[in-house]
Amino acid sequence: MTIHKSSLNTSSKGFQEEQVLHRLAHYLPSQTPLKDFIHHNSLHAFQDMKFYDAIFKASKMFGYQVTLQLNEYRKLFKIGRIRRDILEKLIVERKGAAHLEHWLFKTLNQRHDYNIDPRIGRLRACWKEAYHIDLDNLVQPLLFRMVVSYLDQGIALWHFPFEDKGLLAAVRELEKRSLVSFFRTRYARTLLMDETLTLKQLLNVVVGEESFYEQYLFDQAFAHRGWSGMVATLEQRPDTLLYRKRITLREFIMLELLMEIDALDHELGKGRWRPLVKAAQPASLDLFADVPLTEFHEVLMIWQDAFEWSYYDEVLAGLQQLKGFKTQKDPDTTEERVFQAIFCIDEREDSLRRHIEMTQPRCETLGAPGFFGVEFFFQPAGGKFYEKLCPVSVTPKYLIKEKEAKGHRKRELLYTKRSYTFIQGFLLSLSLGLWAAVKLFLDLFRPKMSPAISNAFAHMQMDAELIIENPGPDAVENGLQIGFTVPEMAERVERLLRGIGLVQHFAPLVYVVGHGSSSANNPHHGAHDCGACSGRPGSVNARVFAFMANHPEVRNTLYSRGLHIPDTTRFVGALHDTAADQIAFYDTHLLPEALLQLHKRCADDFERALDLNAKERSRRFASINTRADIRKVREAIRRRSVSYFEPRPELGHGTNALCFVGHRSLTKGLFLDRRAFMNSYDYRTDPDGKFLLEVMKPLPPVCGGINLEYYFSRVDNYKLGAGTKLPHNVMGLIGVANSSDGDLRPGLPLQMIEVHDPIRLLILVEHYPEVVLRTIRQQPELYNWFKDEWVHLVAIHPDDNTFYYFTNERFELYTPLKDRIDTTPDIYALIEQAQEMESNYIVDATKENLPVHIITH
Amino acid sequence: MNQLLAVIAVWPLLGFVLSLLPGHRQEKAIFAAAIGTVIVHFGLLIVWLVFWAAQGFAHAYWKGFDLYATRSAHFTIDFYFDTYTAVYLLVTVLLTFVIMMFSRYYIHREKGYKRFFNNILFFYFGLTMVLIAGNLETLLIGWEFIGVTSFFLIAFYRDRYLPVKNALKVVSLYRIADIFMLLGIWLYHHYFEHNVSFFELHNLMPKGEPLVHDHFFAVGIPAAFLVAALVKSAQLPFSSWLPRAMEGPTSSSAIFYSSLSVHIGVFLLIRTYPLWQEQAWFEYALIVIGLATSIVTTLIARVQSTVKTQIAYSSIAQIGLMMVEVALGWHTFALIHFAGNAFLRTYQLLVSPSVLSYMIHDQFFHFSPPQHHLRPGFWNRVYWSIFVLSIREWNLDSIMYRLLWMPLKRLGNSLNFMTARYAVYVFLPLYILGLAGVVFSLAMPGVLLAWMPVLLALISLLMVIKAFVKREEAHNAWVLVIVSQLFLALAIAYNGQFDPVQMIMFYSGILVSGALGFLVFYYLRKAKESLSLKRFQGHSYERPRLSVVFLIASLGLIGFPITPTFIGEDLMLGHIHKNQYLLTFLIALTLIVAGLAVLRIYARLFLGPHQETYHEIAYRSS
Repeated sequence: MTIHKSSLNTSSKGFQEEQVLHRLAHYLPSQTPLKDFIHHNSLHAFQDMKFYDAIFKASKMFGYQVTLQLNEYRKLFKIGRIRRDILEKLIVERKGAAHLEHWLFKTLNQRHDYNIDPRIGRLRACWKEAYHIDLDNLVQPLLFRMVVSYLDQGIALWHFPFEDKGLLAAVRELEKRSLVSFFRTRYARTLLMDETLTLKQLLNVVVGEESFYEQYLFDQAFAHRGWSGMVATLEQRPDTLLYRKRITLREFIMLELLMEIDALDHELGKGRWRPLVKAAQPASLDLFADVPLTEFHEVLMIWQDAFEWSYYDEVLAGLQQLKGFKTQKDPDTTEERVFQAIFCIDEREDSLRRHIEMTQPRCETLGAPGFFGVEFFFQPAGGKFYEKLCPVSVTPKYLIKEKEAKGHRKRELLYTKRSYTFIQGFLLSLSLGLWAAVKLFLDLFRPKMSPAISNAFAHMQMDAELIIENPGPDAVENGLQIGFTVPEMAERVERLLRGIGLVQHFAPLVYVVGHGSSSANNPHHGAHDCGACSGRPGSVNARVFAFMANHPEVRNTLYSRGLHIPDTTRFVGALHDTAADQIAFYDTHLLPEALLQLHKRCADDFERALDLNAKERSRRFASINTRADIRKVREAIRRRSVSYFEPRPELGHGTNALCFVGHRSLTKGLFLDRRAFMNSYDYRTDPDGKFLLEVMKPLPPVCGGINLEYYFSRVDNYKLGAGTKLPHNVMGLIGVANSSDGDLRPGLPLQMIEVHDPIRLLILVEHYPEVVLRTIRQQPELYNWFKDEWVHLVAIHPDDNTFYYFTNERFELYTPLKDRIDTTPDIYALIEQAQEMESNYIVDATKENLPVHIITH
Repeated sequence: MNQLLAVIAVWPLLGFVLSLLPGHRQEKAIFAAAIGTVIVHFGLLIVWLVFWAAQGFAHAYWKGFDLYATRSAHFTIDFYFDTYTAVYLLVTVLLTFVIMMFSRYYIHREKGYKRFFNNILFFYFGLTMVLIAGNLETLLIGWEFIGVTSFFLIAFYRDRYLPVKNALKVVSLYRIADIFMLLGIWLYHHYFEHNVSFFELHNLMPKGEPLVHDHFFAVGIPAAFLVAALVKSAQLPFSSWLPRAMEGPTSSSAIFYSSLSVHIGVFLLIRTYPLWQEQAWFEYALIVIGLATSIVTTLIARVQSTVKTQIAYSSIAQIGLMMVEVALGWHTFALIHFAGNAFLRTYQLLVSPSVLSYMIHDQFFHFSPPQHHLRPGFWNRVYWSIFVLSIREWNLDSIMYRLLWMPLKRLGNSLNFMTARYAVYVFLPLYILGLAGVVFSLAMPGVLLAWMPVLLALISLLMVIKAFVKREEAHNAWVLVIVSQLFLALAIAYNGQFDPVQMIMFYSGILVSGALGFLVFYYLRKAKESLSLKRFQGHSYERPRLSVVFLIASLGLIGFPITPTFIGEDLMLGHIHKNQYLLTFLIALTLIVAGLAVLRIYARLFLGPHQETYHEIAYRSS
């Protein structure tokens, strides 16, 4: 044991434990348990660098594929998806006109060696060289089983004993009291029993040379980045589990090191192996060294830019030419409106907005982040926890409670855990077995909603009563204020309405439409819900906002601040199920009779729009014939959302590429194929950009986060995505893995990203470039997103409809190259004629994404 | 009308061939072929059932055709139908139908859509063969088909490491079951001295006394089938393969590993019931193993924190109880239990991904933190010990590794002299000498002649063991396997009367497959691809067609049914005499290891993560 004592005395100069652990946690995936799915940049650890520097460094360090493959770009070029004019323009800009031919050859024809040969894993590979031993195979299966058992939220019938003590302490306690050990040799177990055991001691035994500790820890953690990432995340955010567990990355690493010692002792014999660095003399390597960009990188950059701008250019050209159509035809009149509807900015609502505007031309649609500016925790009646209903970055101080719920959620017999026990399992396999046979056929041919399906409308009971207004200063629960006071409500209503420019011409009915998604057999269902509501349906927020905006005292306060909402105007909360294409309206019984009649007519408009929306979505679904009768299509869409055999109930944010900040007239009449987030904003009501910062602030982290997660899950579905869903196995209700012994798989599954073209988000703001620049400069976190090119930014000059692209920290005029944009008088014909992708290979898949069209009817 | 049985047996094969025709992306055509096969099959089955019922549910038998026949041996395809067949077949048809309908959109756009349905159909064919088989040989053919499709469905995601590793793991256990089947059949033939069909067996069944009298056979025959059944049904000590087999798409795991395939062991025991009924020791053994399995796997299921493994272990526990039921003679009850368990576990597995949202929701409303009570006492210690043991899966996985793989590896690694060069320059001339000896009946001392087969089989065994652990270039291991097979045949030739036709049949299979393999090596080498067996190469990523060619070569070399090698193998076994246990053991072991060595070569070269890193590569741990 003398070695260990001496290791305690060595100076801590080389290996800074805290820092290293911190850095390690930073580089690991930060996805929280799957019950809440928060989209974020998969390479968040590299976000302090410029986009291309960052991704190529990440690639070299960890072996990620960070762009499409060269031959894929070339094929995209061949089929015209990447345009020649754009490619040439970009080469000229980057390399000068003189080198155009030369670089065209490099991009189009030259052979490049592009194996990545990552830095990660090289040190630990030495075990195999030195001792012909595969440590991962020996250690990982049991390690994963122990940690999933420890963190398990409720799958296993037996809990991990002593789990309240922390992972290592629980294992130690168990070792002390059990007659059987997790370990097969004595030494590792003795080490574990020493409560003063430190990480450094263990590293000294296993690695042996301080300068290699950090590299070893990175190699080890990234050999199973899923679990390491989950442990690191849970250490920082234990509140993301309902059944909280104490765990730290340090003890997880220590446990693995102990198991490695055990495995080495067991396989090779105690004393018959030496620490890795002593045994193998590995070359030293700086994991974090900068990666000089090579010519090959530059070729990829040119291709990626060309891929992006081939699309952006078409969009900008579309915007420009749309203006031409508009001035000839209907100027945006402010005639009497039947209703207004505020949707989430989510790009999935793009099509529904388009359809509702067609079925009811005298309506106006607007977009705002789907939590509608009201941030709170929500507690359903009987619920034992709170659910956060606002963007992740916000920490609310308010609690909204459901007073009472009428119907109780039913249980599903076939999910009973008793079928896993001895005697009851026996009886159940006899009795339930036959029921299961019937159920198999029912679920196949008559799928319907059941308690086991995640139902967007069940998040809050339809007719439940909510406590929205604060009953008094004493109404506090666990440090949260119950409900909002009138001034707090007024402040939120005003901020939202002014932000989206809805300050006059109020229609009698203003719908506030949140969204959620129902799906069956889908561990990733949270990824389909509203991102602005922390991956949950936005029904409560819609209802709460409508209540606030209808509150007479709130109206009075607003009036005094110059925001006049007529008494004849009522707000109505609603929820749109983006998978089933169903809608529900809340509190309609509170409407006065006349408005109720109007509402019924409007509800019909919504129904017709949803029919059309279902039809538009159906073009991407193999199971539905888009040309069939529209009622049938709608029904088929609904059934998908409750079908166990359907791994694509909807396609989530796939294809997202744009984010508009401006008035609807900017995009109305443009067919964008559900690729655009749309945040309403009116530069005319906010000439100095007072509200612009508030509007723009959440867009890069929310929309950019979604976009980048889709980007990286698309370009490397194996390492950064979750791979295909079909073999997924739910681990401890926390995440999914591929098999019994596999690592957790963070990221998005294949079925969600196959329609996605991996391009960065382009945010388009309708305002004077100088105002936009001033606005984004106010906050460095916001500014860096644009400066470092993780998202693109274009300002649309309101006066002359010209475009200014933000590059090198300033706005430059951009003139679209494309001179003719497709037009169509009938988008339904367009949709019916669209081809479904032949395969999900990018070159085939991208063809399914339709070009920008101007709708001319 | 009994010919209809033959139609029912062969129909899925037609469907399988049909499903090979459409292109990879023609999902509709692939699915139509698959579902059409099952629906027509169901229709045929119903017609048959009506007819069968009209006959008063009598045991039906159809004497098929001889696949191969000589004076001394014949290989017959027979069909047989009774209540057990009826129930198993009906459940099979229904579940396959459900799984195919489920997979129609579930597998949509998956790279292996066609592969998936091909495999399911082939599996379906194999299972039908097993259920409807009229004799043990016919059953064995179906049995082998199931084994091979298992390998492909587990390794369905062939570009990842774990599926391939686990597929090899499972298939090596399956190989053991196969060989015990072969041994059982060998003993069976020796005892009855001709090919007794199940129908005859059933009629032979005496009342109140054992069917098999000879003490050795009375133990040997049932024991061989018992081991085969225990492996296939994941009973102790083989249980740990089942959760590891859940690597493919959820729907294939559901049909294979939680329902149909895993219940085959129970069926085999019911089928061979006449052979062991009235033998108390066997019944006790079965009850003990079944109960022990049931208890141990229930305990393991209690600590499983992942849905699919929890279902897998629970299913094994129920099968353990079925074993007990079969031992007690409650066959009808076991059938009901089988049907219930198959449907229940299929359903649970199919909906297993929804457990996440269901249980989280449930927890949201009903969560109460578990009580942490710390009572000192003996029972707590027992509980904690069981907990630790169960997390370790009662060491079942490592026991298998230790018992089965380690000795082979150790032995293989110590055989340093056994190189391909050595095999070619030393053993091949020896072989030719030996061949000349047998052909020209050279005079040889009696003792040597008597020990010649054993000696040759031993050499053969050592070669395949070496091939199994080879880490160098693939062709070295390949050569060793081929030469070893030659020696094996020679051993048989020395053992019995020499039959050139059989020899040629066996050799034609070996040599053609061997040459095909070399062609593939040559091609890979020309393309500057690595042939090293040190790690998985994943060549199927760039060369899917080549991988199919090599697969056919591999299956040919290891005597997969449908290849001449298989018939040769079976015939050869027929030449081993009653009391040659050592020789039987050596040959059986050689066949097991040869199979493993060849599948390993295939997997190392063509499966697993691709070695070029210009595209997305899966993590090893995923």
